[in-house]
Amino acid sequence: MPDPRSGVRSLADDLRARTDDDLAALLIARPDLARPAASDLTALAARSTTRSSTARAIDGLDLTTLQVLEAAAVVADGIDATTLDELLPGTPPATIATALDRLRTAALLWGTPGALRVSRGVAEVLGPHIAGLGPTGAELGLDPQPPPALRAAITDLPEGARAVLAQLAWGPPMAHEPEQGTRAAEAVDALVDAGLAARRDDQVVVPREVALVVREGRLHREASPAAPPLEGTVRAVSVLDRVGGGSASEVLALVDDALSSWSTNPPRQLRGGGLSVRDLATTARALDLDPPRAAFVLELALSAGLLADDQGEDPSWAPTAAYDAWLDLPGGRRWALLASTWWSTTRDPTRIGQRRPDGKVVNALGQDVHAPPVRALRRAVLTTLAEAEPGLAPTAASLTARLRWRRPRRVPSDLAPRVAAILDEASRLGLVALGALTTGGRALVAGDTEALAASMETHLPSPVDHVLLQADLTAVAPGPLSAGLAHFLRQVADLESRGGASVHRFSAASIRRCLDAGWTVEEILRGLRDASHTPVPQPLDYLIRDTARQHGQVRVVEARTVLRVEDPAALEALLAERALSALQLRRLAPTIAVSGLAPDVVLEFVQDSGIGAVRENATGAITIAPRPAHRAPVPRVPPSVVRAFTAEDAEAGVAALRAADEQASGTALPPGTTGRGGPAGTTALGKSADRGGAPAIPAGDPATSLALLREASADRRPVWVGYADAVGAVRRFLFRPEDIDNGRVHGVADGVRRTLSIHRITGVAPD
Amino acid sequence: MTDGALIVQSDKTLLLEVDHPRAEEARRAIAAFAELERAPEHVHTYRVTPLGLWNARAAGHDAEQVIDALITHSRYAVPHALLVDIADTMDRYGRLKLTKDGEQLVLETTDRAVLAEVLRHRKIAPLLGERIDEDTVRVHPSERGHLKQELLKIGWPAEDEAGYVDGEAHPISLDTEGWSLRPYQEQAVEGFWHGGSGVVVLPCGAGKTLVGAASMARSQTTTLILVTNTVSARQWKDELLRRTSLTEDEIGEYSGARKEIRPVTIATYQVLTTKRKGAYTHLDLLDARDWGLIVYDEVHLLPAPIFRMTADLQARRRLGLTATLVREDGREADVFSLIGPKRFDAPWKDIENQGYIAPADCVEVRVTLSDSERMAYAVAEPDDRYRLASCSPRKVGIVEKLVARHTGEPTLVIGQYLDQLDELAGRLDADLITGETTVAERQRLFNAFRTGEISLLVVSKVANFSIDLPEASVAIQVSGTFGSRQEEAQRLGRVLRPKGDGRTAHFYTVVARDTVDADFAAHRQRFLAEQGYAYRIVDSDDL
Repeated sequence: MPDPRSGVRSLADDLRARTDDDLAALLIARPDLARPAASDLTALAARSTTRSSTARAIDGLDLTTLQVLEAAAVVADGIDATTLDELLPGTPPATIATALDRLRTAALLWGTPGALRVSRGVAEVLGPHIAGLGPTGAELGLDPQPPPALRAAITDLPEGARAVLAQLAWGPPMAHEPEQGTRAAEAVDALVDAGLAARRDDQVVVPREVALVVREGRLHREASPAAPPLEGTVRAVSVLDRVGGGSASEVLALVDDALSSWSTNPPRQLRGGGLSVRDLATTARALDLDPPRAAFVLELALSAGLLADDQGEDPSWAPTAAYDAWLDLPGGRRWALLASTWWSTTRDPTRIGQRRPDGKVVNALGQDVHAPPVRALRRAVLTTLAEAEPGLAPTAASLTARLRWRRPRRVPSDLAPRVAAILDEASRLGLVALGALTTGGRALVAGDTEALAASMETHLPSPVDHVLLQADLTAVAPGPLSAGLAHFLRQVADLESRGGASVHRFSAASIRRCLDAGWTVEEILRGLRDASHTPVPQPLDYLIRDTARQHGQVRVVEARTVLRVEDPAALEALLAERALSALQLRRLAPTIAVSGLAPDVVLEFVQDSGIGAVRENATGAITIAPRPAHRAPVPRVPPSVVRAFTAEDAEAGVAALRAADEQASGTALPPGTTGRGGPAGTTALGKSADRGGAPAIPAGDPATSLALLREASADRRPVWVGYADAVGAVRRFLFRPEDIDNGRVHGVADGVRRTLSIHRITGVAPD
Repeated sequence: MTDGALIVQSDKTLLLEVDHPRAEEARRAIAAFAELERAPEHVHTYRVTPLGLWNARAAGHDAEQVIDALITHSRYAVPHALLVDIADTMDRYGRLKLTKDGEQLVLETTDRAVLAEVLRHRKIAPLLGERIDEDTVRVHPSERGHLKQELLKIGWPAEDEAGYVDGEAHPISLDTEGWSLRPYQEQAVEGFWHGGSGVVVLPCGAGKTLVGAASMARSQTTTLILVTNTVSARQWKDELLRRTSLTEDEIGEYSGARKEIRPVTIATYQVLTTKRKGAYTHLDLLDARDWGLIVYDEVHLLPAPIFRMTADLQARRRLGLTATLVREDGREADVFSLIGPKRFDAPWKDIENQGYIAPADCVEVRVTLSDSERMAYAVAEPDDRYRLASCSPRKVGIVEKLVARHTGEPTLVIGQYLDQLDELAGRLDADLITGETTVAERQRLFNAFRTGEISLLVVSKVANFSIDLPEASVAIQVSGTFGSRQEEAQRLGRVLRPKGDGRTAHFYTVVARDTVDADFAAHRQRFLAEQGYAYRIVDSDDL
C-alpha cells in the first residue's frame, strides 16, 4: 500500500530516488541483480523482491544483521532503530542503526529513514514463523489484551500449562492437539480458556503477543550484537610464511611429478568420465601420498587446466599445453595459479571416494566432484581468517562460531569437519600454516594477484643447476631442478625421494631406458659431468658402460621377406645381380639377407632372374601356393528403401497447415509483426500492433515478469503482458493479475477471466 | 630460506650434506631421533620413524626440540604436514606409563581416552587387571613385557618406569692396566645405565664386549650373557678374564657341551632355544640365579623364542649390543619394546674417523666367464645358476693373483661352497676352516693366525659370526649368501678391526660378470656405498 506519510510509493520509487552511488552499492551488495542487467529500475525493483534473489541476499547476512531484519519483519511498518530496540535488548541502538542502513542499501528495507518498510520478498523468505513467533492474536480471532493483562493471565496458569506455553513461546509456536484426557490436553485447554492460545485446524497456536510476553519482549533468546571474537595462538608471520613455503614447494613438486609421469603413461578415462580407483591408487603410490591427498593434487591440476581429457578415441588423461607453459613460469607464479585455482574452483575433492545416493563411488576427476557450495565456504573460511590479527591461528571452536555468525542461514550441518577439511587443503597449498593465514593467503583473500605470486617467491627454494653424484648410484639434487636438468634426470634415473631436494637412483633399467630413448653412453656421461661439480663416481661410470655394452645385443629387424641360402657364394651372387637391385636386399649374415618387399614379389623377381627359389613359411616348411584365378569383388549396391506415406504423416501435415491458417486469420498478429517468443527474447512489439496504445513490451526473464505480476496483483493494478500462444506467436494484452500459483497466473483480460502459464509470458510492462 | 645443511624430504627422510660447514652441528641435532640409513660420500640419509621418535622421547627429548632441530638446520621450509605428524607421533609416547604402586605393577595414563581405548582392545584387555581408579589399572608383573609389545603395536608405547630388581650383588671391576675405555664406549655405558635398559649400537670392531664388561662393573651384580655361539662365548670369557677382576671360577659357560652356572654365566642362544618334547629344556637357567643384568650380544640375530623369554624378564636390567638395528625379519619393534630403546649410536664412519676402526678399500673384481661356462650358465636351471656362477674356476686364478699381491698380510678368503673352498685351499696351500672343523682345531688355527704364524686362511660361513681375527687386513670374498645386508656388515667387520699399524684394509669381492652373482653383488655394493665405503669395480683383466 502506498504510504501517504512518506511520499515513497513503492520500492521502485525508493530506488528511483536513490543516488547513483546508492544504486551501485545495491548492485555490489546483491550482484545477482546486476547480472543479467535489468532493463530499468522498475524491473530492478521487481527482480529484487523475487524469492530467489531475496533469499540470496538474506542468506548473505551475518547473525547481527539478520536479527535486526527479523525484528524489522516482526514490526513490519514504520521501522527505525527505536521501534526495534524493544525487541532487541542487548543490541546497542547504534548497531541496530548500522544494520538498518545495510538492509536498506541491500533493498531488503525501503522507504524513508524512520519509517522503513520490509521489502515484499522478505516475509516469504523468512517464513511464517519469524524467530519462532506465531501469527498475531487478531489473525487467530482472539480478543486483544494489553501485555500486563497477558502477564497476569500467564501467572494464573496452572504449572503444566505454563510449561507448555514456555515451550511454544520460543517456537515453533504451534503443536498438534494432544489426545483428550491427557495432562497435556488439560494444559492446552487452560491456555485456550485463558485466551493465551487458539485452536486452528487440529493445532494449538500461541499468538505473537503472548509469546513476546513470555520472552519478556526479547525476539531472540540470545542477542548477537557483534561478531564472536577469534581466539587462539599468535605466531610470527615469518614463521608461518616459511612453513607455508614448505607446503607450497611440496604441492608444486607433486603436481609436476604427477603430470610428468602421466605424460608418458596417461591413465584411461572412465566411460562416465573420471579416473578409476586403481589408477588413483597407483598415482598415489608413485607420489607417496594417500589416495585422498593424491586426488587433491590431481583435481587442482585439472581445475587449473594443466590436465585434461585428451579427446582421443579411447580417451585418457594427459597434461595440456598449458602445463608446458606453466613449467616455464617462475615458482611464485606457478604457485599463484594453483592457489587462485583453488580459490575459484567449485570442485570439492573431499567428495571423492564417497558414495552417491545411487551407491556409486565418486571418482576423482569425474563430474560428481563438482559441488558449488564448497567455493563459498572456502572463501568464508579464508576471509574470516583474514579478519583476525596477523599470525593468529584461531581455535577450531572460535573459528566455527565466527563462521556460524557470519552466514547463519548458510552453514552446512557438518560445519566443523568441513572447515577442518578446507584448512587442510589450504595448508597443503601453503595458504594456511599452523592454523593461521600466511602472507600468500592474505594476498589471495585480498585478490591481489601480483602480491600473491611475490609473497611465495621468496619462500620457494630457488632452482639448482647441479646434482651430487654418489657411489651408491644416487644423484641428489639439493633443491628443485631447472626444467632441462629435471627432464634429463627423469630419463636417466628413477626418483626415489622428493621434497626440498630430490634423490634419483641409477639402475641398469634406468640407463637402458635412456639408451632406448636414443642417448649414447658419451651423451649420458657428458650430461652427468655437466650436472655435477664432482667427478662421476667410478661405480656409476662402470654401470653406464656395462649397461651400454649389453644394450642392443639382440636386434629386432624389420623386414617382410627373409632370403636364406645354403652356400654363401649364392648369396653373394644374389646381391651382385643387377636385376634384383630393386629388391634392396640387405645381408644380415653370410647366408641370410632380408628385403622390405613382400615375399610374392621377391619370389617372382628371383625366379625371373633364373635362380631356382622356393617359398618357405614361418614354420620352415616349403609351400607352393596355387595361384588363384583372378576375381573382382562383388560390387556393393546401396539398398533402395521406399518409405510409405502413412496416415500419421498426413495428420501432422494437416495440423501444421491448420495452425498456420488460424494465425493468419486475424486472432494473432498480422504477418510481419509475428514474433516467436523465445529465450532470445528479441520480441519488442511496436505500438501500431493489434491494440492501439499498447507500449512496447521488453522481453523479460521469468523472474522479473513474475515479480512484476506479483506486485501488480498486490497493488491491484493492470499490466501489459506479452503472451506466446500455442504456435509461438506473441500476443499482447492488458491483464489484471489476481492470483499466482503453481506457475500460473489468474486474472482478467478484456473482461474475461483468463489463466496464463508463466513460462509463456514473454514480458510484462506497467500500464 | 636459510643456508642449513639439512634438507627435509616429504617421505620423512633427512638429507644431510656432509661437506656443509654446519653439517656436524646438524648431525648432532638430528642423531637423537633419526636413524642413519645411508652414508655415501656427499649426502647422508637419515630416516625419521615412529620408533626413532619414541627412542628420542625415551632419551628425554620432546617434540619442540625435534621440530626446532629440523627448522633450524633445514635449508628449505619444512612442510607443515610433516611437523604436525612428528608432534603427533611423539605425543603418543608416555601417555601410558608402567609404574610401581607399592609392590604392585600398574599402568597409569595422563589421557583417559587412551586408557579407554586400551581397555577395550581385544588383545590388551586380558593383560590388564582390575581398575584402581579413573587413570590407573593393575598389571600382572608377568605380563609386563607382553603388554609393552602389544601397546607398541597399536601405537601407544608405554614408558616403563617400574624399575628393576637389584639382583644378587657381585663385585666386578674393570682391570684398566695398560688400556682405558674409549670416550664413546664410556658414553655408551652412561647412556645405557641412565636409561635402565636398552640397546647400544656400535660397529663391529668398535669394542662392544668392553661396553658389556663396563656395564657389568657398573651394575656390580651377577650377570647372564647371551651370545650367538660357542666360539663367541669363549671369546667373551677370554675378554672378561683379561679386562676385568673376574676370575676363571666366577665365569661359567652354559652351552651344548658344558652346563656351568656361576655369578657370570655365558649362554648361547642355541642352548636356550633347544626344545625337547615341545618344551624348552633350559629355561630354568633364566631363573637359576637372581640375575642383576642380562646382556644380549648381537641383538639383530636374537631368535624369536628368546624374545618370548625376554618378555618375562622385564624386571631385570637388559643391555642389547649390536652393530645394526636393521633386522632382516623386521622385528625392530620387539627389540624396542622388550630389550629397550636405543641408548647409544655412533655412525661407523665417525668412529673410523676417530681412528678406532681401519679404513677400508673395497674392490669388486668382475670375472668374465669362459665361453663354455657361459653356455653352461645359459642353459642351467635357475636354482643352479647362482652356484654355477659363484664357483666359476676362473675365480681361483683371480684369488691367487690377489693373495700374491698382498703376500705377508693377514688374509682371509671367505666363501659359501665347500667344493670351491676345498679347491682354493689346495691351490693356495692354506688351511681351511668349515663348520666341520673341531672347536679345538679352529681355535688352534685362529691363534696361529693371530700370532702371525700363518697369514692365510680359507673360511666358510662360520667366519660370519663373532670370531675375533684382529689382524686380518685383507678379505677376499668368492661367494656369499644371496646378497644379505647383514652378512655384508659382518664380513666387512672382519677386516675393520683395528690394525696395529693403521694401514688400509682391503676388501675384495670376486663376482662373475653378467650373472646372478653380479646381481647379488649389486645389493652388497649398495650396502657398502651406503655405509660410506667408496668401492671400485675392476675387470679381472685389468688387475
